[in-house]
Amino acid sequence: MSNPITSIKLVLLGEAAVGKSSIVLRFVSNDFSENKEPTIGAAFLTQRVNINDHTVKFEIWDTAGQERFASLAPMYYRNAQAALVVYDVTKPQSFIKARHWVKELHEQASKNIIIALVGNKIDILEDNENERKVAREEAEKLAEEEGLLFFETSAKTGTNISEVFLGIGEKIPLKGLEDEHNNNGLNVTEDQRINLANTANASENASACSC
Amino acid sequence: MLSPERRTSMAERRPSFANFSGNSNHIDTLMVPHLAGIEDPLPETTPEKVDVLIAGTGLVESVLAAALAWQGSNVLHVDSNDYYGDSAATLTVDQIKNWVNRIHNSKNESEPYKNAKLYISSSNIGPDCKYASRDFGIDLSPKILFAKSDLLSILVKSRVHQYLEFQSLSTFHTYENDSFEKLTNTKQDIFTDQNLTLMTKRNLMKFLKFVLNWEKMPEIWQPYADKSITDFLFNKFKLEKPQVFELVFSIGLCSNMDTKVPLALNRIRRYLVSYDVYGPFPVLYSKYGGAGEVSQGFCRSAAVAGATYKLNEKLYSYNPTTQVATFTDGSKVTVTEKIIMSPTQAPEGNKHVPEQKYEVNRMVCLVEKDCKEWFSEDESAAVVVFPPGSLKSGNKHVVQTLIMGSGSECCPQGTSIWYLSTTESGVRAEMDLDAALEALEISIIRESSEEITNDNDIVQISDDGRPIINSVRLGQSFKEYVPRESVQHLMKLSYTQLTSTPPFDVVNPALFDNDELNNRANSVNKFIPNASDNGIIYTAMPSSEISYDEVVTAAKVLYEKIVGSDDDFFDVDFEDDDNDAMPTGASVNGVINYENAIEDDEEDIQMGEDDSNEFVGEMEI
Repeated sequence: MSNPITSIKLVLLGEAAVGKSSIVLRFVSNDFSENKEPTIGAAFLTQRVNINDHTVKFEIWDTAGQERFASLAPMYYRNAQAALVVYDVTKPQSFIKARHWVKELHEQASKNIIIALVGNKIDILEDNENERKVAREEAEKLAEEEGLLFFETSAKTGTNISEVFLGIGEKIPLKGLEDEHNNNGLNVTEDQRINLANTANASENASACSC
Repeated sequence: MLSPERRTSMAERRPSFANFSGNSNHIDTLMVPHLAGIEDPLPETTPEKVDVLIAGTGLVESVLAAALAWQGSNVLHVDSNDYYGDSAATLTVDQIKNWVNRIHNSKNESEPYKNAKLYISSSNIGPDCKYASRDFGIDLSPKILFAKSDLLSILVKSRVHQYLEFQSLSTFHTYENDSFEKLTNTKQDIFTDQNLTLMTKRNLMKFLKFVLNWEKMPEIWQPYADKSITDFLFNKFKLEKPQVFELVFSIGLCSNMDTKVPLALNRIRRYLVSYDVYGPFPVLYSKYGGAGEVSQGFCRSAAVAGATYKLNEKLYSYNPTTQVATFTDGSKVTVTEKIIMSPTQAPEGNKHVPEQKYEVNRMVCLVEKDCKEWFSEDESAAVVVFPPGSLKSGNKHVVQTLIMGSGSECCPQGTSIWYLSTTESGVRAEMDLDAALEALEISIIRESSEEITNDNDIVQISDDGRPIINSVRLGQSFKEYVPRESVQHLMKLSYTQLTSTPPFDVVNPALFDNDELNNRANSVNKFIPNASDNGIIYTAMPSSEISYDEVVTAAKVLYEKIVGSDDDFFDVDFEDDDNDAMPTGASVNGVINYENAIEDDEEDIQMGEDDSNEFVGEMEI
């Protein structure tokens, strides 16, 4: 309860059908086979993870299909602290697209965004290694050049999924530590933000003031 | 609506709902939001057939798209621009450049923008300069959000507010006699304002009590129903000019002296009831760009509910007989119900765009001044109103100004954006805007100048020894002050936007009656041979209204036209998600509680009755 909570906006990018949503669903529900129903109307999916003494709350934004016709809004990238750029290890085209998204993120997103490059669907390789069309070395090279985290995953079996999010969580500057370092800029911004879903406090104050 | 049967909503189509209704073996997975559709990747082509095609991603269109998508309509939402927002877009400096070029080259006879003029300081903005183009987010239709308003309810209900960040705006300045008077808008301010006489204070309190429930007291306002609000306040409430101007132009944000009593009373109340809903301020604005962000948020919500989005897509023509819409890139879609389109998106050869007879004249300046002198502490925005007759130009209409500082994340530190607008037209509008700009420049130079704080005349000391620094210091004593520095303009843009909506009014439903083709027998006249836009319903361009108030009204009217009733407009039963339950305090049901707008005094004030001095005494804080 007393754990400081750090909220992280995480966005998903990648070609259609590479398994972006599956990765998130696996992470959020931790169960691929059971068709867990996502929250209807959720602005984004959330999942809390404990890292050492800290709780990291991931706010995960799906593209909602808006990437299909190059129609992602600037709002999507804005203030994202982390991004998953996903490709399918059996589809070379999806890796080309991943390079494009990494470039796009460097141009559009905040400078210190943490990007994880994720090659998904490695479960297919278990039966037949010939299905692999994107060499691990090639992806590692891209990750090294661009300063990305790199994972190969299977949303279907769950392989490496939680590692992706833990890896990101560990690289995120945590809130408690920031406070100690007296990072004022960020805190002030947080305070000025008004939660529209919370009018209770203001009303109470108003009625308490019997002037 | 062609089919009289109501579509099942998103919530009803949830698998659990289907199970519940004993229909478990048929689950339409395509209708479940994408996160659920893990085995059903979205198609790579646009749909062949949709219920509704919406063109233009402005505010009204975006709210409508989200409402329809959650209601269960199959929506294709396109925009001919390569960005979201259309007439409500938030643009970078480079995008503004392209936008101005587009207007100059427009062949659209019904082009709703004209007279666009742009100056950019190329030594300051651009590659390798101090500022980059994308450091700025410039709104084509700057807006503020009242804390009690229909859009705010919809933002909360739809959860679109979770995509946005809102900040408070509490400072409203009224420009009078060459100075900015900070608004006396709270009871506390009224009591402590030493410039007000007891009589004025009393009259003001009477009016504030009345206005919160004005409809219930027709005996007071009915005799003035056709009169102007200024007339009413002067004669019925015996208020003096400064208070009348504050009430009408800063609190009510009315456009001129002649605003009719009922309309003006509603506008004044809107401000008062919004106070203290979220804190001691009446309005909010969204960070990173106002209307542009809000429309992106609703578009995202619509996409989550299954709407398809495509930018850079322009309609070529629509054939209402075959129901086929053709785009300029050759792609086609069958639209089974309605096409809703912003006038900005009208195809060439259009004949149905409603007459846009009202002008909104706007000026936007990027200024190398942080303007923090105009903001309240910890805030980053302010409204400055120039009432009629307050400017050198002898303005007949109000000039409204919205100032955004770097805390809004719309501009870099040390700069600000000034949005000026007027409902005056033609050359007079230009003169008024220029005069207002000059007044702003002179004021900010005075205020930000170092020497001023040393002047004893300016810093007043209160009873408890605290210096009161307020805008009064901008007054007479500085009339002769000659500015030594000038304000550095990084960009200056002015343009005229046309609209079919009268100034500060909401859209007239009759505007949307261009769809009689479903009923062609009655309205042969409506069908114009060779028109590319027969059967298309046009939305209204934004009016000069600085709040979002017109948006939901217009979206609801259109929604009703398509669905048949507005009963289920955003009637979405969202599950609780994380800890973000529905708020209990927000007026999500449209039931507005005016109680805490101004805290009640014990006694009721009888209008017209001669109150004793006791009343004034009890108002002590």
